[in-house]
Amino acid sequence: MSHAQGEIIGRQSLLWLLVVNTLVLLPLYDKMTPWSMGICAICLLWRLGIFSGKVAKPPRYLVTALAVASAITLALVTSQIGMLNGLINLLILGYALKYIEMRDRRDVRAVVLVGYFLIAITFIEKQSLWFTIQLTLVATINTCVLVSLYRNSDSLRSTARLGTQLMLQSLPLALFLFVVLPRLPPLWLVPSANNATTGLSDEVSFGDIDQLTRSTALAFRVTFDAEQPNNAELYWRALVMENYDGKRWTQDESIKKIERAANAAANRKPPQGPFLSYEVITEPSRQHWLYGMDLAYSSEADILNLPDGRLYAVSRVDKKLEYRVSSFKEAILDRRLAPNVKALNLALPEKGNPKTRALALQFKKDHPEPKARLTAMMRYFNESPYFYTLRPPQVGPQQLDDFLFENKAGFCVHYASAFAFMARTTGLPARLVTGYQGGEWNRTAGYLSVYQYMAHAWVEVWLPQSGWTRYDPTAMIAPSRIDDGFDAFFNPQQSYLLESPFSTLRLRQYPLLNNLRLSLASIDYYWSKWVLGFDNERQSMILKKLLGDVTSTKLAIFMLVILATIGLAIAYSVGLLHFSRQQDKVVAGFEQICIMLAKKGVSRPINESPSDYYKRVLQHYPGLRETLNPYIDCYITLKYKPLSDAGRKRVLNRYRQTLHQARIAILRLNKTKIAP
Amino acid sequence: MDLNQTTDTVYQRWWKGWLSRRLPPQNRVTLAHKSIFILPTGFGLIWLLLVVLLFLFGTNYQNNLVIALSLLLLSLFNTCIIYSYRNLAGMTLEAKTGPHVYAGQTVLYPVYLSANQVQYQVTLSYGDNETQTVANVTDKAVQTLVPFASQRRGWTHPGRLKVESRYPLGLCRAWSNVDLDNAQIVFATPIASVTQLHQHLQDGTTEQPLRGRSTQGVEEFKGLKPYVFGESLHQIAWKQLAQGRGMLTKEFEQPLSAPTWLTFNDKHPDLELQLSELTWSVDQLSEQEQAFGLVLPNQTYMPATGQHHRLASLKAIATIDRISTKGNLG
Repeated sequence: MSHAQGEIIGRQSLLWLLVVNTLVLLPLYDKMTPWSMGICAICLLWRLGIFSGKVAKPPRYLVTALAVASAITLALVTSQIGMLNGLINLLILGYALKYIEMRDRRDVRAVVLVGYFLIAITFIEKQSLWFTIQLTLVATINTCVLVSLYRNSDSLRSTARLGTQLMLQSLPLALFLFVVLPRLPPLWLVPSANNATTGLSDEVSFGDIDQLTRSTALAFRVTFDAEQPNNAELYWRALVMENYDGKRWTQDESIKKIERAANAAANRKPPQGPFLSYEVITEPSRQHWLYGMDLAYSSEADILNLPDGRLYAVSRVDKKLEYRVSSFKEAILDRRLAPNVKALNLALPEKGNPKTRALALQFKKDHPEPKARLTAMMRYFNESPYFYTLRPPQVGPQQLDDFLFENKAGFCVHYASAFAFMARTTGLPARLVTGYQGGEWNRTAGYLSVYQYMAHAWVEVWLPQSGWTRYDPTAMIAPSRIDDGFDAFFNPQQSYLLESPFSTLRLRQYPLLNNLRLSLASIDYYWSKWVLGFDNERQSMILKKLLGDVTSTKLAIFMLVILATIGLAIAYSVGLLHFSRQQDKVVAGFEQICIMLAKKGVSRPINESPSDYYKRVLQHYPGLRETLNPYIDCYITLKYKPLSDAGRKRVLNRYRQTLHQARIAILRLNKTKIAP
Repeated sequence: MDLNQTTDTVYQRWWKGWLSRRLPPQNRVTLAHKSIFILPTGFGLIWLLLVVLLFLFGTNYQNNLVIALSLLLLSLFNTCIIYSYRNLAGMTLEAKTGPHVYAGQTVLYPVYLSANQVQYQVTLSYGDNETQTVANVTDKAVQTLVPFASQRRGWTHPGRLKVESRYPLGLCRAWSNVDLDNAQIVFATPIASVTQLHQHLQDGTTEQPLRGRSTQGVEEFKGLKPYVFGESLHQIAWKQLAQGRGMLTKEFEQPLSAPTWLTFNDKHPDLELQLSELTWSVDQLSEQEQAFGLVLPNQTYMPATGQHHRLASLKAIATIDRISTKGNLG
């Protein structure tokens, strides 16, 4: 083939590929099965060997065998790691294996295209500003691979420069399209990764929230329309658990059924009364439940308002989700309780925890009035020597007895469980609620951040007059946990920072650095709000701001103007709009002199040569000889004599000087002429 | 008498006509928007497919960053269109006369490339012939030899020169088809034919090896050469000395015998074979520095020697029209 020689991959391209391969695969490490990771490592090492000239290319049968083997293994483990992860791993393996057996430029192009796709896949999970910058850099390097195919003889730096330049020149148009292109709803159902990223689960047993408490990951952010409430009021309800089997609390099947059906008919009516409005941006939780305070109501189309006052996303929260909520603090949740629901919230295992039962019955005996009884129970937790700890001692089969009478130490789930158990024992319907408590206030950007370690569990007891009423026994043990927030109560190093040595939350102890952390967090907030959460609503808002009333004519003109501007800007930046500028400058200078002289009475016919013209001018103004002579010399040299680069530069410099002098001389001519 | 265009389809003919109207043949061409065409390459189409795929992917996962990436790639494609235009625009191509070749050999057409701005990885090719790549085109004109496999003798036009560039990412193919008006005569393929040469020789009587040769002598003026000290004063060119051209000596030579005549035979059954043999004979005689004359249907070359004579004879042989030999046009 005639192209054969040109199709060989240059050494520079290989180097670029080596870099980009590593950079593309690194952020995907948590998606890879150990198998694929191993194969990727082998491929990389082998390529490194080929690059340094120590190893030969692998024979084709070996690559084929590896490909078949890994495809089979993947097929076997797909059921465990999920469809999406399986596909991602397949793509990663294809990328690595194609990379190792690459032979000509076509292969390089294929590798580059798959590289872009893998970058896109990385974006599914990692969407922070930092990752976006990093991945944009990787995409640029990936582009440099293509550039290097055409600039192989040049230095690495010039290839990098061109690649970066291309990307930078492409950014404005991409940005513009990003803003104006309408966002479509998902076209079909897609497989997604199924690993939960929240610690909350639909069942709670002793020790569950503990794991969660140690995570510094962001759970969601809230922006209040008006004043934000006190920390002690920030109870973010996520799940309500009504079934208790003596070991764990679970959601009842009836509410799960409503969730599964997810039909709008199940939606409750908006409650009456004063309310608090706010906007929540949740991090992807891979779950359906959403967060709201008290009796929450949201009118968003894809959010279900469940009968237990909670919010539920119709589609799973796989990416950041933004929704508006109103909380009706004074509204009564369930004025009447259906008999089956009442029975459910009174049900207890027949046996077990005899000491706790006895204690509860004692309370009933002492306080026949329910409210007084509950208050007494709360006081009991406050006055008895109970401790709040994230590392409670082990409990035996009689969980609550061991906790209440032996260990006397535990965290929210322990206290909430015990409280709900005792309330049920005394004939009061009670249930466990899990969610988050508190939040960190970012003053600069004006929003509240709720982290995973703020997860909490408390109890709701149904009372005939006030419906479901919140009781948080943990607040009795560690009041500062609720009033001032989690951080005031715990030394962060001992709890949630224990497992994240690099968390920026560590910076809190240094005021200056903490400010920096908070402003970085606000950047991240705006990033989530304006980039990740950019939707049709925001788009029309921006367009309205730019154009006023958006009409199709206005929009079309706007688009055309922007597109033309961008096109011209790129054309200008690549040097298309000023071809023979230097030449023009020289001629323009000469023409200017001609015009000036014409005003003085010596005009130049179009067919007169510059030197003839010069002679004629001298006949009229002999005084110009001194200044005009060097100018004309330079002009003729530039126009008609072959010059070396350096020579041309020198003459051009001289030309500029003499032009200036000639202009001044001609201007002065006027004065001298007027004088006599 | 274009021998190359025989099997064109209607479309090709229309395309060629359109091109020749838009880009008329010129010896020196500077490429501009009128002469540059840009279309996506196969890779470019796959790239666009990836853009669509990523957009769908981003839409389905409702992931703005993936959508942004797809838009960035789309925008990159757009930028590449401008770059690929830039990579040809302003390029000046100038054709020079190439070396002489025989039919069947490859003609290397010299083309001089220059551009105000540096342009990269430009390929030049004639039709299906081998492609020539120029790594950098700068403001200094650089000669590139573009190969063209000649097949027939006579005036050979290589057709339109395809100037192509896929720089910078290989997404777009910018190209131009320029006619540099550089037709040139390709000589007939020489075929050795001792018999033919002998036929021509047999009519004479002198010794064969000396036939048509000449030696230094006094009879015929051959030319002037610089004077060497000691040469006879009789032979000094006084007239030229008076003109101020320096001391020169007149050289004379003496033909050893009557020159050879190569004659075109009307009755020869195979025209091409005869022309090939004539070509061979001309080369053979020229190599031996024998004077020869050439008689062709339309013209006659008087006996002479030298490179100039050889080339004139070869060109005349190469351009003999097939039709006239049949006697139709006489």
